[in-house]
Amino acid sequence: MQNKSSLASSVGWALAVVLAIVFPLALSSIYWTSVLTKIIIYVLMAVSLRTIYLVGEFSLGHVGFMCVGAYTSALLTLKAGLPLALTLPVGGLLAGFTAFSLGYPFMRVKGIYFVILTVLTSESFRQLALNWKSLTGGIDGLIGFPGAGALSLPGIGQVDFGGPNEYYYLTLSVVCVSLYLLHRIEKSRLGFIWLAIRETDKMAGAVGINVLRYKVINFSVACFFAGIGGALLAHSEQALSAMEGASFGIMTTIYLLVYMVVGGRMRFEGPIVGTVVLSLVSEFTRPVEEYQPMIIGAIAIAVVMILPDGLSIIPEKIGLWRFKSLIAKSKTDLDPKTQEGL
Amino acid sequence: MAAVIDLDMVVDQGQIFGLIGPNGAGKSTVLNMVGGTLRPSQGKIIFRGKEITKLSSHKRAEQGIGRVFQENLLFTSFTVLQNLLVGCHLQSPISLASIFRKTSSYRSREEALMKNALDTLKFVGLSDYFCEMAINLPHGRQRLLALAVALAIQPQLLLLDEPVTGMNAEEVALMVTMIKALREKKGITCVVVEHNMKAVMGLCDRIVVLNFGKRIAEGSPQAIVENKAVIEAYLGTDEDVTSN
Repeated sequence: MQNKSSLASSVGWALAVVLAIVFPLALSSIYWTSVLTKIIIYVLMAVSLRTIYLVGEFSLGHVGFMCVGAYTSALLTLKAGLPLALTLPVGGLLAGFTAFSLGYPFMRVKGIYFVILTVLTSESFRQLALNWKSLTGGIDGLIGFPGAGALSLPGIGQVDFGGPNEYYYLTLSVVCVSLYLLHRIEKSRLGFIWLAIRETDKMAGAVGINVLRYKVINFSVACFFAGIGGALLAHSEQALSAMEGASFGIMTTIYLLVYMVVGGRMRFEGPIVGTVVLSLVSEFTRPVEEYQPMIIGAIAIAVVMILPDGLSIIPEKIGLWRFKSLIAKSKTDLDPKTQEGL
Repeated sequence: MAAVIDLDMVVDQGQIFGLIGPNGAGKSTVLNMVGGTLRPSQGKIIFRGKEITKLSSHKRAEQGIGRVFQENLLFTSFTVLQNLLVGCHLQSPISLASIFRKTSSYRSREEALMKNALDTLKFVGLSDYFCEMAINLPHGRQRLLALAVALAIQPQLLLLDEPVTGMNAEEVALMVTMIKALREKKGITCVVVEHNMKAVMGLCDRIVVLNFGKRIAEGSPQAIVENKAVIEAYLGTDEDVTSN
């Protein structure tokens, strides 16, 4: 049974990757390629946000670390002329290191207090980017920094990732590797300890788990990938703004949280499903943009009420329903009364 | 206002030490202070000649202090075996490399961990339930599982906060036998906070009685039963009865 479900899961993952590879070629539209690029980046953001939930905390400051990664990578390419192959990990590392430094005071508090600290930090980062005019361009933002350009790939040689399609595939590769790493960590003993802390940190401490240390590691890992997401976003748009309505505002974090909940916060694939579905809903409802928050909100309420475990539970529910109907059918077939009737 | 005042208490190695008193006497506070979930505002806690007053609970677990909580704390959405594996955490430190590459030494360590977990389950009689979800176990077995998790850290001292609360007579007898076996087979020192007087009297070598955070009596179970101050703390004085 377990083998069957893990085979189904592997097939599902493979299918998702194949679809992600084929879509831009099938659609052959620059607009849709850029939309898909953004969706894939937000998939990474939502999955890394869920990583924090593994220790039982909700962060409303994830975009703050995305902002750190984005500005670091953009500034390094713009001012130091470094290639994306270097600025991308540096963006992630700086975001992760910032989270590590803040993690020790932040992870001493729980629940709503942690949420408040993260949202204030995120807003502080945005305000810093908005007001440090000499470095970040202030209200005008950063414009015209280079995209991915040509990167040297081992075994392939120089590949130009300057075009939208090429950049999409670069983003897809980086996000796939990041998701693989996050999945591997979650399924390792480290992920197991995180879950134990979420269950009861008091008991975890009593069996010798350094709860604070593991929570800080968790926060740093999640924010590292948020930084990677930020760097990818920066070079995708080749323009950065820290204005309220732009990517680093509080609404982006709220949407990431909604993606996670709608997709299913208990499963790794939950935020992926949530992000893809709701981003496409946002895209198709663009003509009525002013109603988008209401539409997304209505979907979120409906999912929470009908499927509290999120959309990613649907295949399992269908499987269970089929199993039950098979049992009911076999019972009817074996029932002597029904057989008499025949 | 203090929950515990001027308490001077020595527990000898290999002893089963009882801590009793009416509700609100400060018994659990004492266990919380020894276990590291609460820090005393004054005074010292010494364990095996080393001061541990400022150590956090995970550091105290490293020193060999295990804990069974009053509120039946367990990793409820884990299986019985997974609960034990969390308990064995100290015996298998996590390295970054082990996340991505499982070396043969890592695998053999994991096997040893599994064996230790299964042995502990066998000791408390929960071997048959290893793949059961902890939340689905009946109360008595959950208490045994909590004991097994505490044993998984291989403690020298075990703090048991109301280990037999909510159990039926048969389960109480089993738990009492189990705690005695801990001392006899593993040499573990136990500090037991309990309201079930029959269990306490049958189990403990020495008892301290607390009332309003102060020690009112100390001695053998027999001496405690006959102590006037203890009887008054539990039943009240003649004056209390008259005034009511």
